[in-house]
Amino acid sequence: MLKRQEWLDLARKLDWTYSYVQEQDVFPEAMSGRPWLEHAAWQAWDEPYRTTFAEYVAGQHEKEGAITAVRDAVGKVADFDRHDRGWLSALKLHGATLPLAEFAAVIGNLRAARFGRDSAWRTTAAFGALDELRHTQIPLAILHELVGWDPQFDWTHRLFHTNEWVAVAARHFVDELLLGANPIEFAIATNFVFETGFTNLQFVGLSAVAHGVGDRMFEKMVQSIQTDEARHAQIGGPVLRTLVEHDKEYAQYLVDKWFWRSWLFFAVVTGFAMDYLTPLKERKQSFREFVGEWIIEQFERMIHEYGLARPWYWAEFIKSTGYYHHLLYASAYTYRATVWFDLVLPGPDERAWLAEKYPESWAEIDPVWSRLTERWQASGPGVEWYTHGVTPVGFCSLCQLVLCGGTPAENSARVVERDGRRFIFCSEPCAWIFEREPERYAQHLTIVERILAGQAPGNLIELVRDYFGLTEATWGKDAHRGHYSFLVNAPGGTAE
Amino acid sequence: MTPDELVPLYGFVQGDTLGLLVLVRTTDTVAELAAVLQEAATMRVAPSLDFYVRHRRARLDPALTIHAAGLTALDRVELVRERSP
Repeated sequence: MLKRQEWLDLARKLDWTYSYVQEQDVFPEAMSGRPWLEHAAWQAWDEPYRTTFAEYVAGQHEKEGAITAVRDAVGKVADFDRHDRGWLSALKLHGATLPLAEFAAVIGNLRAARFGRDSAWRTTAAFGALDELRHTQIPLAILHELVGWDPQFDWTHRLFHTNEWVAVAARHFVDELLLGANPIEFAIATNFVFETGFTNLQFVGLSAVAHGVGDRMFEKMVQSIQTDEARHAQIGGPVLRTLVEHDKEYAQYLVDKWFWRSWLFFAVVTGFAMDYLTPLKERKQSFREFVGEWIIEQFERMIHEYGLARPWYWAEFIKSTGYYHHLLYASAYTYRATVWFDLVLPGPDERAWLAEKYPESWAEIDPVWSRLTERWQASGPGVEWYTHGVTPVGFCSLCQLVLCGGTPAENSARVVERDGRRFIFCSEPCAWIFEREPERYAQHLTIVERILAGQAPGNLIELVRDYFGLTEATWGKDAHRGHYSFLVNAPGGTAE
Repeated sequence: MTPDELVPLYGFVQGDTLGLLVLVRTTDTVAELAAVLQEAATMRVAPSLDFYVRHRRARLDPALTIHAAGLTALDRVELVRERSP
């Protein structure tokens, strides 16, 4: 009987020599991606895991058993009920934004499993598709089951099927990244940038936070998912290497484009969770410290190893790590009825921690929380509307997120006129991405454009209820309904 | 004669965290626009008499109408402090 190493390459590296058709007909550029290269250019494709189907099935079976055991032990309503309200919001945010995005990634991987240019790449992508199906099902199974206890967990399934603004932004990102991308762009955008660069923030960083919080279920769930991510993320590197050899400018463009788009996504999902929704005593590092460790150090080194430069907007990115998620969180707090999770009002201790972690930017942001604190003190607990906006907000024509770029002193949004239409971009990278492929993005209407076109109501209550699909039971509120000891004890509390 | 039409504008209040969409009439004054912007951001930024409206880096006369100031749909306007806080 052959040993593993004797048959593995025969099974894994099985590329046909075509005699009845041309290679270009089997792997057309429209489906496989550009640049179109003969297989010889891709045949060195390899990754270190070199998993067989039998090993995959056995390994995944073992992981499923471990997850099931943890769920049986600590995955019941009573276990979630003891968590801090802010942490539960982090779970709702994760549960709604990630699982169905992972489901879209099944499609991207399956396209690569058919149209990837080397058989080993296709095999690894097939495992990737199975992985992503698992990453959809596990959090849905664990978190959506909590709907009977807390109706906001319904949004674990619901978010991506609504016109809620985060859903509009998430679909705009995910549809292009995971559903529409050809295997080459998918490998660079998803496997290399998103999974190698960014998912560590959510799956390693937040797992460590979950450990501190005492949420063993979430900790084990995301750790288990990360073991899959680490494997199928390996698809990206060898694809990038070949792409750099043959079209370096295009490789740099794809990295630059998807790095910025991924950054905005994780600034919401991980930034909110780490700097606001995790109880202060359980925070190990700030979001920016995680970004520094996982993105600025590791990813930057990695792209240099592939012969690429840092994205052209690197200075803007570095600056935004001190502002962007803070501005977006404060904005979301004052429009919390437009999302499906509750938000926490940071108190004096939290603001002092944020001031320490963000010394160059927090002084500009803190006055907003002073103002909100004063208004809560004036209204008393339970009066949500007094700290809630009613005026419609602007959304970026590219990322579809609220216009929170730049700083409080100088918002970086820019209006651009094009073909008789006005577009607005939250940042220069968003404007640049749009301008590179306007035909891809121009027809997509922001929430504001939908309101002005009569497709969505302008009245906030109607917008939230009728267009976003939220109800009084599910729309976001202050996580503690304004009941904070510091509102009573320390009028106008500041970060000092 | 100035047409009386609604004009949606992207408004940015200095010190605020986001851009807003405000609706004014062409016959409203720039001072009234400033009041609308202050009110829209009031839960995050304390109102002040210290603000003026800026458009394309130029300070707008508060007595001008929206029409006379040349503001059109989806322009970006800023409410800026006279002095840094």
